[in-house]
Amino acid sequence: MGTKFNLNRQPVPDEEINSHKDFGELVDKFKKQSIEKARSDANFLKNKKATYTAIIAGATVVCTLTYFTVFKKQTSKQNQNDKITTNQTHNNQPTKNSAKPVIAPPVPKLNVAYTSYSVKAEDGAVLKHKTNSKIIIPKKAFVNKQGLDIVGDVEIKYREFHNPADIIAGGVPMTYDSAGIKSTLESAGMIDIRGYQNGEPVFINPNKTITVEFQSEYISDQYNMYVLDTMAGNWVYVSRDNSLKNQKKNEPKKTSSLQVKSDVPMSAKQKDIQKQIDAIPPKMEAEKIVYSKKINQLPKVTTPSKPIKATAGRPQFELDVNYKEFPELQAFKNAVFEVGSENKNYSSKLADITWSSAEVSEGPAKGKNYWLTLKLRERVEKLIVYPALAGSDYEKALKNYEAKFADYQDLLAKREADEKKLKEEFEAKQKAYVQEQERLTAEMIRERIRIQKEIAENMNQQMKTMSSEAKVTRIFNVSNFGICNSDRPVSMPQEAKMNPVFIVNGTKTFVKANSTYLISKNRNLVFNFGREPLSYNPGESYSLCVISDGKIYTCDSESLSKCFAAKQNKIPVTEVTAEINDSHDLKKVLGI
Amino acid sequence: MVLGYKPTMLLNAVNMEFSPRYHHTADMLLDEQMIIEAAKQNPEHFGPLYDKYYKQIFGYVYQRMDCKDTAFDLTAQVFLKALTNIEKYEYKGVPFASWLYRIAHSEVMQLFRTKKNLRTVNADISDLRHICEEVEEEYMEQYKSVLMTVIKDLPEDELQLIELRFFEKRPFKEIAEILNLTETNSKVKLYRILDRVKKTLTKTSTNNGN
Repeated sequence: MGTKFNLNRQPVPDEEINSHKDFGELVDKFKKQSIEKARSDANFLKNKKATYTAIIAGATVVCTLTYFTVFKKQTSKQNQNDKITTNQTHNNQPTKNSAKPVIAPPVPKLNVAYTSYSVKAEDGAVLKHKTNSKIIIPKKAFVNKQGLDIVGDVEIKYREFHNPADIIAGGVPMTYDSAGIKSTLESAGMIDIRGYQNGEPVFINPNKTITVEFQSEYISDQYNMYVLDTMAGNWVYVSRDNSLKNQKKNEPKKTSSLQVKSDVPMSAKQKDIQKQIDAIPPKMEAEKIVYSKKINQLPKVTTPSKPIKATAGRPQFELDVNYKEFPELQAFKNAVFEVGSENKNYSSKLADITWSSAEVSEGPAKGKNYWLTLKLRERVEKLIVYPALAGSDYEKALKNYEAKFADYQDLLAKREADEKKLKEEFEAKQKAYVQEQERLTAEMIRERIRIQKEIAENMNQQMKTMSSEAKVTRIFNVSNFGICNSDRPVSMPQEAKMNPVFIVNGTKTFVKANSTYLISKNRNLVFNFGREPLSYNPGESYSLCVISDGKIYTCDSESLSKCFAAKQNKIPVTEVTAEINDSHDLKKVLGI
Repeated sequence: MVLGYKPTMLLNAVNMEFSPRYHHTADMLLDEQMIIEAAKQNPEHFGPLYDKYYKQIFGYVYQRMDCKDTAFDLTAQVFLKALTNIEKYEYKGVPFASWLYRIAHSEVMQLFRTKKNLRTVNADISDLRHICEEVEEEYMEQYKSVLMTVIKDLPEDELQLIELRFFEKRPFKEIAEILNLTETNSKVKLYRILDRVKKTLTKTSTNNGN
């Protein structure tokens, strides 16, 4: 029977095609298939009946569990953090292809030390690491290489890598090979966790997960989770690091613990000083009043009026007054009133009129002239007049005046002396108040400065506290012991390349590098070039660490930038002569 | 009257619209490449590729058979194989679809090796007209059955070329990718097939006294 030929067959509607699309099913099938493949691989190894060492058997189990855990993780549609699976190997376990260990601390004594914890396997535990990271181990979390539950004490060995010094000291490879493209991992933090019972490695129960709440100093959420496959010598991508996103979702928004008070209340001392300062102006005012009163209380000294001699030829009025009837005019007894030249209304005819009333009142120049108001029925005339004495009256008045003036001068001198004394006393008191005010103000300023310093110190302290608290918790869900890393791949520097020659500063000694590390400034990023030529991006800032025969040499970012800018391959390095015993010392030496 | 056939006409394919699905801009290829890399790390990231190419792959499979269920099953199988082997996928500057078609081609051929009766040829009358135009022969009703017979009796590799070029309207570059040939080789092979088709049609025309 030949092949059937259909002409103009009806096409399948899109709806029908789409109804068969099921990506979830595809992934499930893929996982199932992968698990079966992993199992068959394990069975294949069993059937070979070869003699495997305990380590190889363990590795097989781990491989199986790795597949299981990876695929289990992939099916999880919950928002939980993905589990992380690693191959448990010892630090110095070589890769298949190389005799060189994957994890190779360049100077063994600097290696990041493990902290050991003892955990009752059947009870589980929550361990608090010295960095405040938390290791949460559920009950019955461990199995032996046969897959059987472990009871009793299990030793957990744990260490963390936080900075380039830790990475260099730990000898952890940070190169990431993805589909043949090499990059370096910039880490937000890395953990290495292992378990042992009686010296034998144990494994994490496939149904359990150890959770590590890692305190990371890198707060970006642009990181992925990787595990180090020490068999393959490469990092294995696990998932995006969603720890921070989940934290943001689940945790109420935290307010800053740094409290800056915009209105700082006065201290008791400040209040007391301010009270004293505020009391001074009223005191000064009161003193002024007292002073004024005292001045006013001094005997008044009136200048005696000098008698005026009548001028011949000037028009004058004589007042015919009954002094008994008008005693107030006694002062003008025997006086004549000379008409001032300023009176424009005066005419000699006025003297011919017999006025019915004549009133003398104070004139424009007090004590010198007077108003003379003359009235006759409706007519009124006002003249400025000057009292004057004539003849013996004048002489007598002059003598009297001279005597009074002498008394006046004495009294005036005394008053001036008294006034001066009172003024000096007043000014001295005022000065004392001003000085007191200045002293108190200065004290107030000092107190303010002291309080501001105190506040600044408090703020600094709070900032320091905050800074130490400015960490984020990254969740590592560990399904197998080994090294887990929250990081992101960064392209290797490519813009420039050189074959460096390291020369010890101030000498002509060349250093043959075993390892050359380019450390990106202000990042947790270390490019390890080993013995290969250096590549770099001239626009970026790096420092350099060279290790040669256990000795450490460094080149600071400034010197290195100069070399890179000048494309000078002779790089001056300084030998670290200070004793360094661990990664903390290395961190100090590298200026990180 | 049948005129001399010019193989260069194959390059122009007069009156035939080719599917633009194969054509990707550099940005599209880059985007696709990123998804592939992500999918290599995590199979969950394969979703966009599955969505993008499901209909095309189903179309390819169903083009060659009658049974829809088998076509759907086989399509699922194609994607499972793709996901399983995605780590081996290497970007060659062409859309990811080419790789999927090759898997589909391989799966379909494997199925037909065991179940030959499932193989069918599916075309529209307009496709047959295009073949006639390509060989510079005016389409006549009596050519329909002749063409159908000639085509369904072609060896599988030649039938594939006709299907891909005339029934699925694919550019030679894509045909070459799917069949793992060079572009020139596909053209030459197709020319030879069309030459034979032309001779058959000429013979039919002569027998009918035209």
